[in-house]
Amino acid sequence: MNRTGKQILFALALLALPFLAHAAKIGEISETTWTDQAIDFFTMQQPIVRTALTGSLLIGFCCGILGSFLVVRKLSLLGDTLSHAVLPGVAMGFLWNASKDPWAIFVGATAAGILGVALVGWIKQTTHLKEDSTMGMVLAGFYGVGICMTTVIQNMAMGNKSGLDKFFFGQAAALSSGDIELLSIIALITVVVILGFYKEFLVISFDSGFAQALGMPVKVLHYALMALLTFAVVVSLQAVGVVLVSALLITPAAAAFLLTDRMHWMLVLAAAFGMLAGAIGAFVSYLSNNLPTGPFIVLGATGIFLLALLFGPRHGLLPKMLRRRKQRQRIALENTLKAVFHLSESSQFKDQVFEIGRLATERNATLHETESEIRNLVKADMASRLDSRNGPEMSGQAQFELTKSGWYRACEIVRNHRLWELYLTNAAQYPIDHVHDDAEDIEHHLGEELVHRIEERLENPIHDPHGKLIPNRESIKL
Amino acid sequence: MQSSPTTNLSSKSAAPLEVHDLTVAYTKRPVLYGIDLEIPKGSIVGVVGPNGAGKSTLIRAIMGLLPVSSGWIKVFGKPFKQAVTRVGYVPQRESVDWDFPVNALDVVLMGRYGRLGPFKRPSKADKEIAMNCLEKVKMDSYAKRQISNLSGGQQQRVFLARALAQESDLYLMDEPFVGVDATTESAIIEILRELQAQGKTLIVVHHDLTTAPEYFDRILLLNMRVVAYGKTEDVFTFENLQNAYGGRLSILSEVALTRARKKFDGDTRDNVGQ
Amino acid sequence: MRERFFPDFDWHTVFVQPWTDYSENSFWIVLMGFLVSGTCGLVGCFVILRRMALVGDAISHSLLPGITIAFLLTNSRDTLPMMLGAIAAGVATVALIEAIRHSSRIKPDAAIGIVFSSLFAIGVILISAFADKIDLDAECVLYGELGFIPLQDVVMFGGMEIGPEPVVRMAIIGLIAIGLLLSFFKEMLVTSFDPGLAASLGINPTRYQYGLTLFLSVVIVSSFESVGVVLVIAMIIFPGATALLLTDRLPKAIWLSTLFSALYAGLGFHLATWLEASIAGGMTVIAGFIFGLVWIAAPDRGLLTKFAKRALKSEIVLPNP
Repeated sequence: MNRTGKQILFALALLALPFLAHAAKIGEISETTWTDQAIDFFTMQQPIVRTALTGSLLIGFCCGILGSFLVVRKLSLLGDTLSHAVLPGVAMGFLWNASKDPWAIFVGATAAGILGVALVGWIKQTTHLKEDSTMGMVLAGFYGVGICMTTVIQNMAMGNKSGLDKFFFGQAAALSSGDIELLSIIALITVVVILGFYKEFLVISFDSGFAQALGMPVKVLHYALMALLTFAVVVSLQAVGVVLVSALLITPAAAAFLLTDRMHWMLVLAAAFGMLAGAIGAFVSYLSNNLPTGPFIVLGATGIFLLALLFGPRHGLLPKMLRRRKQRQRIALENTLKAVFHLSESSQFKDQVFEIGRLATERNATLHETESEIRNLVKADMASRLDSRNGPEMSGQAQFELTKSGWYRACEIVRNHRLWELYLTNAAQYPIDHVHDDAEDIEHHLGEELVHRIEERLENPIHDPHGKLIPNRESIKL
Repeated sequence: MQSSPTTNLSSKSAAPLEVHDLTVAYTKRPVLYGIDLEIPKGSIVGVVGPNGAGKSTLIRAIMGLLPVSSGWIKVFGKPFKQAVTRVGYVPQRESVDWDFPVNALDVVLMGRYGRLGPFKRPSKADKEIAMNCLEKVKMDSYAKRQISNLSGGQQQRVFLARALAQESDLYLMDEPFVGVDATTESAIIEILRELQAQGKTLIVVHHDLTTAPEYFDRILLLNMRVVAYGKTEDVFTFENLQNAYGGRLSILSEVALTRARKKFDGDTRDNVGQ
Repeated sequence: MRERFFPDFDWHTVFVQPWTDYSENSFWIVLMGFLVSGTCGLVGCFVILRRMALVGDAISHSLLPGITIAFLLTNSRDTLPMMLGAIAAGVATVALIEAIRHSSRIKPDAAIGIVFSSLFAIGVILISAFADKIDLDAECVLYGELGFIPLQDVVMFGGMEIGPEPVVRMAIIGLIAIGLLLSFFKEMLVTSFDPGLAASLGINPTRYQYGLTLFLSVVIVSSFESVGVVLVIAMIIFPGATALLLTDRLPKAIWLSTLFSALYAGLGFHLATWLEASIAGGMTVIAGFIFGLVWIAAPDRGLLTKFAKRALKSEIVLPNP
């Protein structure tokens, strides 16, 4: 599963590229070049561009920060529920004075969103229905009511100029200066509240039971967060659309979660990613003229997430793969060293110079394989060749010796192996025929500190369970 | 201290359960390590050990629910999949959703499903068997109750009845005594003895050290590896218990953890945690 | 054009006229509504019990790029390519969610959100970019076109007119659902209730999990052009969830869910007729309304009974301080 899973992810990453390329091509249809348009767009010379870009940036910022709390609390899909649940509120706000008055819509949508979230909690508490069904019902139920209302409104006289359809897929260009005002206020409130109550939000997100024990008003804080989230969702609707706004809450925060282990950095990164996604989406939508903004913002966020998933330094798949490959190479190297040690040991350590052919027999490997192993050892400065010819090809008679660091590492590996065998038989009561395979593996992973503790626990032993000498600190120092 | 597996058993006389050099690791947490085990027919084996010792993991590994890193398991001399109808299972009570819309009889009937095969529905005879099993655990009067309306002990008895309905030869029970009242506990143990008298083999995960020697005639002391296994009187020694429960093997778990991290993450740090 | 949100309620135009003046149209619409919500509800009972509701939501959104790409490739709106596209999209959704879960520390809920929103976004872009080539429009995606069902091509069989093509297709899928239910009821029951036990009985739980996911994709794709991407989730969850508040037995819950589906179709149609609103929207409003009623007034598990019981208890407890 693991391997196929990764292959699928790579395939998806590749799939995402043509879409961006396609989007760029749409832009080229117009007479100016791509770069000219980029300059035109990001310097914000046209007022409509100014509102669209500022709006998208502010939206990305708010959603990134607030979404982080949802993601760490494993409530990601509550964002989805919330965004669908506001729809009837939007319609209601629109009916209030039959125009796209941002404030009326804002109030209606916020009320509907909070009602939706409260209903999820309430149904869950009073029935045996599980959280996912509850969220699904509230999501789809509210949305159904919203659909009913919007279809009615579109039949009504004022429906033609409603612009209600912008709420479904989102068009950043539809943002008005009134919307920007509202957005700025929300962003400001978000920053103030999160900064002011950062430690409280941190504690309730991590362990709400403990927060309660500390005397924190857990319920109030929870609903405060939900209210902020609703605000953010409501103001984002026009730019991103009902269905996709949840992605802005989840995806940038999830990308940030892959890159850092600290909550405050996660907030900063998520806000940055959200803004980046907003800018990308607004720009691509601008290039392509009439395509909706929302999907492009979402795909921008997905792109950032995929980059984090593949290349994140700590948890990324590619660095992980590289680390594992490096480790495999190290283990191969160490196994060669160990074989050389065994060769030397069989001559009571009289032999210090070895023929490659002998090593190949000892390791049960072909001459060719052994040659490349020795080449790797030489490269790592753990062995040196005694052959005068310096060419890349070697023969079975070619001789080599280990350098000081090579001997040191070889002794360490053998020590680890024998020490672990002894630990398993003496301290963990394993039968003696069970311990070798395990030691073959663990010898490459034991750190200095653990070795020291095992030695202590076994009272600095001299012989392994098979009666062989355990190379100790003195002999390692040579 | 450790029984080594007898070699070359024909499937006729094969032991109900044979485990050889079994290692099981979750992605990050290695849980069982080089387990050797052979369980003779007709015994009640208590699996005892501290929290996180891998008791449930052993049961789940036997049933093939977890990937095995190395070693093998044989049930009546065959891989589990081929001996499926001969094994009955009583999971931990927390493992299922008690709000599920089924009543006690439905749950017991599930024990018959393995024998039915595809496209067949439980017959009248199956229902009678299920009722009989409920009677055996003295739950027949609750047959039509939805399962969330039963007490913890009653739920456990329903699970036991379901295992009886499976009519198996080897029973795997995961903590059947957790959260049950004293009457249920003695009722369960009575049924276990009856099953044993019929020549069935039982493997019971148990956490209560005080009752273990009384209930089981063989004990498997587990703590990541087999600390001791054999007749109860031989195994239940102070030294063995200390070996299983004392913290003297912290190095074993730490090393195992270090290895797991390095293997799966390619972690380069020397040793992780302490 | 009208001025008010709620038109005057007139019994004749809302309830009688549809069945006298446009009886054939009404019949097909209501039948289709019932077939859609009935089939969704049938599958939905298991979706709820397996806690897959949000996976279902994800699948329904992800179908959009699946069918769009299938459409662009074959340039036809035939059932088979659409189905294949949808199934591929459904499988891809589940596989991607699993892949993200297994290859990183992202939790399943976030993985679901990321996957479905990305796929849906791709679908929306494709539809908008190729708007001139695709006769799938945004409205169809959002709230379906149940009202247009009677206008679809009629299927002929042996020289007899059977009915509009989508209705016939949905009926076949509904029959398949019933067939599968009868054949695999006990397997579905035991794998949903206790996967560990199922495995110990030799019933492979993952196989049934994937089977259900596949069939769910099929049901969603055949329903979504009638009710839209989001409301198909309502049709999947509401009947089962409402029924489960009323009964403790799964077979009974399945019967009840079918009954509720019929109510959604009938009442929803009339509600939509009255308000001149989307029919799928009307069905969902009815579904939510019935759920609310049952939630409040169900005999055993309703809010009223619960409050009454609590009040009774506190009365008994109070006298002895």
